[in-house]
Amino acid sequence: MDVTVEVVGEERHEVSVGSEGTYADLLAAVDLSPHEVSVLVDGRPVPEDQRVETDHVKVLRLIKGGSASSPDGSESR
Amino acid sequence: MTSSRLVVPPTVRATLFSHARAGVGDGPREVCGILAGERGIGDDDDADRVTEIHRVTNVADTPRVAYELDPAETLATIETIEETGKDVIGFYHSHPDTPARPSAADEAQATWTGYVYCIVSPTEDAVRAWRWTGERFDALDVVDAADTA
Repeated sequence: MDVTVEVVGEERHEVSVGSEGTYADLLAAVDLSPHEVSVLVDGRPVPEDQRVETDHVKVLRLIKGGSASSPDGSESR
Repeated sequence: MTSSRLVVPPTVRATLFSHARAGVGDGPREVCGILAGERGIGDDDDADRVTEIHRVTNVADTPRVAYELDPAETLATIETIEETGKDVIGFYHSHPDTPARPSAADEAQATWTGYVYCIVSPTEDAVRAWRWTGERFDALDVVDAADTA
């Protein structure tokens, strides 16, 4: 099936996946890692290993990080 | 032209500190959200202006030392910002008790190339900002108002 993959804040891609294709397959097709994005369908995150059941998804690049140290001053990362 | 200045009016700065201080008194924990306003203002289009902030829930596993904007909430907020004709300028988070500068974790996990990452440190009374280039954080000059000359 043909799926529109809209990367929020960037561009749209048209991706074709097989009937057993997953959301992870969509991400691979647009060169994105599941570790750095969230796939949303109708505004709700979906598991990347779930089979694609829609022709339009939004991909949000995750916004995350953090301070370097734990309270005692040691590195936590 | 990529802007080198970030205009954060005093009223917006106050809302950033208000949110950051709420996190200091609650855990403490890092707080986070989205910066909205106008891109490319000023005589040389060299500044972005933040006109409002939008708090977003921190869903990191360890909010004491990490932040992660809730994805569904982030998407809904971005869509609301754009529907009102504003630009997404970037994102902010707080460091409850460490200096306001990007950590190794911040650099390793930055993904929004071209957008502003702002850090608020209530203990330093500081708001600092950087633009993520895709490879590094470029420091921005945070000012109260755009030049009018």
